[in-house]
Amino acid sequence: MTETGTSLDVRRVNDTAAVIGVRGELTGATEAPLMDAYARAADAMTRKVVLDFSGLEYMNSTGIGLLVTLLVRAQRQRQRLMAFGLSDHYRQILSLTRLDEAIGVVDTEEEALAAS
Amino acid sequence: MTTIGHAFRRVVRRPQRAADAPRAEIATATPTAAMPAVEIGEHDPLLPYLQSASGAVDVDALQLESSALRELRSAGVKLVIPLVTHGELIGTLYLGPRLSDQDYSADDRRLLENLAAQAAPALHVAQLVQEQEAEARERERFEHELQVAQLIQQHFLPLTLPQPPGWSVQAHYRPARAVGGDFYDIVERPDGTVAFAVGDVTDKGVPAAMVMAATRSVLRAAGQDEARPAELLARVNDLLQADMPPRMFVTCLYGVLDPATGHVRFANAGHNLPIVRTAGGADELRATGMPLGLLPGMRYVETDAQLRPGDQLVLHSDGIAEAHGTGREMFGIPRLREVLAGAASGDRLLGDVLDALRAFTGPDWEQEDDITLVSIAWHSGGLLTSFEVPSEPGREREAMRRVADAVAPLGLPGGRLEKLKTAVAEATMNAIEHGNLNRPEVPVLVTAGVEGADLVVRIRDEGGDRPIAITETPDVAAKLAGEQSPRGWGLFLIQQMVDRLRVTSDGRYHTAELVVHLEETRHA
Repeated sequence: MTETGTSLDVRRVNDTAAVIGVRGELTGATEAPLMDAYARAADAMTRKVVLDFSGLEYMNSTGIGLLVTLLVRAQRQRQRLMAFGLSDHYRQILSLTRLDEAIGVVDTEEEALAAS
Repeated sequence: MTTIGHAFRRVVRRPQRAADAPRAEIATATPTAAMPAVEIGEHDPLLPYLQSASGAVDVDALQLESSALRELRSAGVKLVIPLVTHGELIGTLYLGPRLSDQDYSADDRRLLENLAAQAAPALHVAQLVQEQEAEARERERFEHELQVAQLIQQHFLPLTLPQPPGWSVQAHYRPARAVGGDFYDIVERPDGTVAFAVGDVTDKGVPAAMVMAATRSVLRAAGQDEARPAELLARVNDLLQADMPPRMFVTCLYGVLDPATGHVRFANAGHNLPIVRTAGGADELRATGMPLGLLPGMRYVETDAQLRPGDQLVLHSDGIAEAHGTGREMFGIPRLREVLAGAASGDRLLGDVLDALRAFTGPDWEQEDDITLVSIAWHSGGLLTSFEVPSEPGREREAMRRVADAVAPLGLPGGRLEKLKTAVAEATMNAIEHGNLNRPEVPVLVTAGVEGADLVVRIRDEGGDRPIAITETPDVAAKLAGEQSPRGWGLFLIQQMVDRLRVTSDGRYHTAELVVHLEETRHA
């Protein structure tokens, strides 16, 4: 838990995939925990990192900036970034910002893990 | 004393009349030689002597230390016949020596005295008629001047008043009979702010009206490109001062209101202080300065005030506070404040003040001075919320939540509400971080209200003195390629989330106005 009431849980699904559960908010205050969670989620074997946004309450423009930073990192490490559980509102924001062209946005964890 | 003064006026006027009607009826030494006009001074002892003389006065025989008498002698005057009616000396007949070189006989004198006794009342009547005619002409000239002055004054008062959304602007102006120099002006500036001025020219009549007209014009012209009240008054003072007639000056209160935020900036050149009527009472806003037109190079102080929804700004002139009641006491500022505090709000406030004034002065009151009352009222009806948040990172969530709560009665569809919340949060973040530089003690003011068919949320910070940073349009490909910072999504998001984003700066404040069209929302 961060002081803003956010928790980031890392769960390794298998050797090549991990899920980061984002509960609470994704803002500037979440930067260090998010980068830390990503480091824990992704090692040399990891090909896919899935962001579980079903517990996301609030994301602001700084949070969107963090997603861009994650994306840059993922691309450098040749990892695929996926997301599920987004509300219609945040899904629309990822669409408006065209982040959904780089992050695979799906409805469920299964879809995220099954996606190539 | 009065009698002497009265008589003196007539005597002084006499030589002129003598020139109008030559002394042909009286025997003179040489009919063609004009008798020199001899003035009898106000304090000359000859004056009381003539007033009480019973008949013709023999100039050569008179024993009196009088300069007028000496003059009469050297002019060759032998006889003076006082023209007296009702005990009042209204003129004199001067006679030179008889043409026959003989002295005036007793018969001559009696004839002249009879003539004087009959001529005096006739002359007196003629004098009265002439005076009345002169008075009538003077009155006519005065009435005409009054009409001209009224025309000038009315021409330079605004025909219509701006009515910003959510505000009601009203003015009451009633000239006294002898037109004073009150004026007021309220205009909407190109940036959406409203400039207001109330003033009073010393003196009355046409000169005051001319100065009032000039002042109004100079104020308007200067107001086009100067939004800072203190600088504006300084400039207007210098412009007016050069051409101001002696012993005249102008008091003036000038201010600029931002209807979006209720922020008022004003400066005062010796005029009555503005009064703010709030739910808690009526208080004067302090600001002092020299009247316009007295001295060059005057400097004025800018003062500011923050109005809240439901507040009412009242401007007034001397005509109210200095009106006298039946007991000769003045209406006064304390009473005015008291009346304002207890008056109905909004459009009925001015009526309440005038009713109180009428009750105070009584029905037979002749208005002593121009009365000017201006009311600038901020309606509370359309406003849903107005609050401040300290400039600390993360406080945007509070702004977001409170606006969401406040607009709940509008029943925005879920998607629209979420978008508005994001826009409010982003705009508040910008205000906290870029506007107020994360200084917790500097508040961000957030207001939300319905204006016509729009929901308008305004977020104001105190970074209005710095230029608004132009951000590049975020491009995800450029960001991923490292050509743009990963951040910089805020303004872009706001623009996508609401129907209109308008950003304004006024030198102190910087306001982001978020507009959501309610009609489209309902149909969506």
